Amino acid sequence: MSSEGLVKKLPNDIGGDASGKIERVEHELLPWEKRCHALADVLDFHKIINTEEKRRGVEALGSEMIGKLSYYERWIVAFANILFQKGILTPSDIATKMAEVEARAARQLKSHPNG
Amino acid sequence: MHVENHDHDEPGHDHHHDHGHSDPHEEISITELPGYYDMLETAVRELLVERKLFGADEIRRQIEVLDSRTPALGAKVVARAWVDGEFRKRLLEDGRKGCEELGISFYDDTQLIVLENTPEVHNLIVCTLCSCYPRPVLGLPPDWYKLKPYRARAVYEPRAVLEEFGTHIPDDVEIVVSDSTAMVRYLVLPMRPAGTEGLSEEELAALVTRDAMIGVIPVEYQERAA
Repeated sequence: MSSEGLVKKLPNDIGGDASGKIERVEHELLPWEKRCHALADVLDFHKIINTEEKRRGVEALGSEMIGKLSYYERWIVAFANILFQKGILTPSDIATKMAEVEARAARQLKSHPNG
Repeated sequence: MHVENHDHDEPGHDHHHDHGHSDPHEEISITELPGYYDMLETAVRELLVERKLFGADEIRRQIEVLDSRTPALGAKVVARAWVDGEFRKRLLEDGRKGCEELGISFYDDTQLIVLENTPEVHNLIVCTLCSCYPRPVLGLPPDWYKLKPYRARAVYEPRAVLEEFGTHIPDDVEIVVSDSTAMVRYLVLPMRPAGTEGLSEEELAALVTRDAMIGVIPVEYQERAA
């Protein structure tokens, strides 16, 4: 394939591509997926990240990540990247907070080992 | 005005209890460590709340709004359009205003264009770039709407796509495919099935399915044997 195709068509731009049979799959959102959707809406209401910025943020993940991450996984990673670009958060903010979130979850798991 | 139908008994709304809770403050009964992306979501949200960019209650409220949006709202709009010609006219002129007339609020700043199916024209909606969908009136889209086969193929072989949904559109009927954007969303106004003249507006609404309002299937009506 010539490289020209890559320049003309970004990963999200799949209208008109050949593709397989439609499988009528659906799933009920996991709690974190629903939270992620609500987060997207609230970010949009506050003009922190609008829908089009989100779409471009997903596109900017590149085709490998777009192919391997699930729908809401792409959204949350795109949000983190956009927040870095806007200077609202830094990667170390996220790393520190994730360690905290994980430690908190581990403590809860320990205190309620059977749920 | 907000429509708040907290109908938790509806099929497809059963809750999962194995991966934490949808309430951001209530994380007491976890049975395994949350996954990476789950924790990333929590981290991003909590950081933004700490910086006072929005309140934790806003996320909670938006989850309630999302839960309140189901295809039953769109079905109500369709049934009203079938029984009230003046309403149908207003709805086709401005979809958002028409829905708002029925008390359906738009929580985002999207516009809605309602596309009327006729014996000559069949409408189908898609979002080739991502997953834009008339969420205020239909809720969240099904996975197949967001996956590549539907998004890629709906625009160039809609007849073949419709056949995969079991829908045969005769060759003399034109198929119009509308590609949604971040700002403009579509809703299909399906044809009212024959034999439904005696049905009430409520009974009509019960016939209208999500997939009919996406345009992949017609609204069906089987007259009950007397």
